[in-house]
Amino acid sequence: MSAPSLFDVVGPVMIGPSSSHTAGVARICFLARKAFGERPGKARVTFHGSLAATWRGHGSDKAALAGLLGFHPEDERLSFARELAAREGLVVEFVEDRSVVAGVHPNTLRVELEGGGRKLSITGCSIGGGAVRVENVNGFPASISGELDAVLVRHRDRPGVIAGVTGVLAEAGVNIATAASRRNQKGDEALLVVEVDGVPPGAALAAIRALPEVLAAVHLPSVVS
Amino acid sequence: MRTSFTSEAELLELVAEAGRDLPGWMIAREAFLTGRDEAAVRDEIARRLSITRTALARGFKEPQRSVSGLTEGAAAKLHAQVNPPVRDELWNRALAYAVAINEVSACGGRIVAFPTAGSSGIVPGLLWAWRDEREGELSASSPRLQDAVAVAGAIGAVIAARATLSGAAGGCQAECGAAAAMGSGALAWLASGDAGRAFNAAALSLKNSLGLACDPVAGLVEVPCVKRNAFLAGNALVALTLDSAGIRSAVPFDEVVSAMKAIGDMMSPQLKESAEGGLAMTPTGLRVKAAMEAGFPDAPDS
Repeated sequence: MSAPSLFDVVGPVMIGPSSSHTAGVARICFLARKAFGERPGKARVTFHGSLAATWRGHGSDKAALAGLLGFHPEDERLSFARELAAREGLVVEFVEDRSVVAGVHPNTLRVELEGGGRKLSITGCSIGGGAVRVENVNGFPASISGELDAVLVRHRDRPGVIAGVTGVLAEAGVNIATAASRRNQKGDEALLVVEVDGVPPGAALAAIRALPEVLAAVHLPSVVS
Repeated sequence: MRTSFTSEAELLELVAEAGRDLPGWMIAREAFLTGRDEAAVRDEIARRLSITRTALARGFKEPQRSVSGLTEGAAAKLHAQVNPPVRDELWNRALAYAVAINEVSACGGRIVAFPTAGSSGIVPGLLWAWRDEREGELSASSPRLQDAVAVAGAIGAVIAARATLSGAAGGCQAECGAAAAMGSGALAWLASGDAGRAFNAAALSLKNSLGLACDPVAGLVEVPCVKRNAFLAGNALVALTLDSAGIRSAVPFDEVVSAMKAIGDMMSPQLKESAEGGLAMTPTGLRVKAAMEAGFPDAPDS
């Protein structure tokens, strides 16, 4: 591979002790909270593999709570996330799943959020040095690193929806870095993930939500400072 | 701008072509890659340096104790030593600073992964020890100290490109070993202003940490990590001393990094951050693991 950026090597800024078991977990849960859009009424976090074995010693639960409270992964309030979550009435059930599944990264977690009649399930892995990859959103395969800002669009699988979304972004002067769409079956629901350079303006988000066949659209901010 | 490199040789060629010095080119590259200007990149380096200085101060001021109890105030003990057996202040400061920052990391404080959390004390420990002992006028906003960070980053970037900076992929040689190489190069740059000297010091340092296993007790980033930050800061200072005497590494940096990669590939997965070998499997290691799995019943609330 080619050399990474300076701030990848000298960074990220994070709350210790572990880039993979603390910073990575905080990032995935932060992305889950942003994807859900509000404080969930009910939440469950399942730690798999190495995380299941060592989450207590690494304070991975605090990292998860901080992320679900919407704290950026370098926010020092992570240290007090248990107290702050209790004060906000955010109750999270932590589950250990020690089974090792072939082909699944050893540092994987699943985040399930519920509230306001909505449900969100996100599976992500912490792949080292604080880097993460969200691999599944509500059953749709995905590949979201959180390095860039992203727009998640849930829509009906109909002609022209993707063109509509990219058209709105183009008009707003937002450059698309990557775009990937997955559907569960033809003509049913689909999830479009668009990674962009910079922060997409709120008006563009609103315009995307107003497009025909679009069910929901959220902005996932970058986890990188 | 051409930004892609995978070796010291390629990097120094790009730097020479651009007519910049190594840190200046690294900062220009970062500005190009992230779409900001060079001043903003320098501001971000300054911010990260300040975070390490805050962690350093905190490591001495507040006794650090981890949930497991494995980490408990080693930096304060080093700092309090009145009559250290080795009488060099740069040496003593570097060791204590590296541990202070890494204890803050181990205990859930705010740090910069440099290049990882487990090795986060080494480079900033060396830089701040140099500043306090040799160039007291430097601060996070001094271009010279920012340049040293960029040199450390350049060395780390070559290691990431040719090998890895992950203990799970390459063992501790890729974390604390890489950090020591970055730190020795940064100090060699401060001492000489010469990029070749920086990479020579890095090669000398990295050769001496090849094969270092990542076998943390109970999988926690504490034992041997915290004290190893002191040992590897010392390793970096030995490399700096050798380079300063004009001693060349017989094997050039790029080849040393390739050897590191090859050794990492040969290492058993049990010695790569899985907590299934080495120190993790000692009777002591297994006792800590059992206590952790019981939820650390003896630990004070974290």
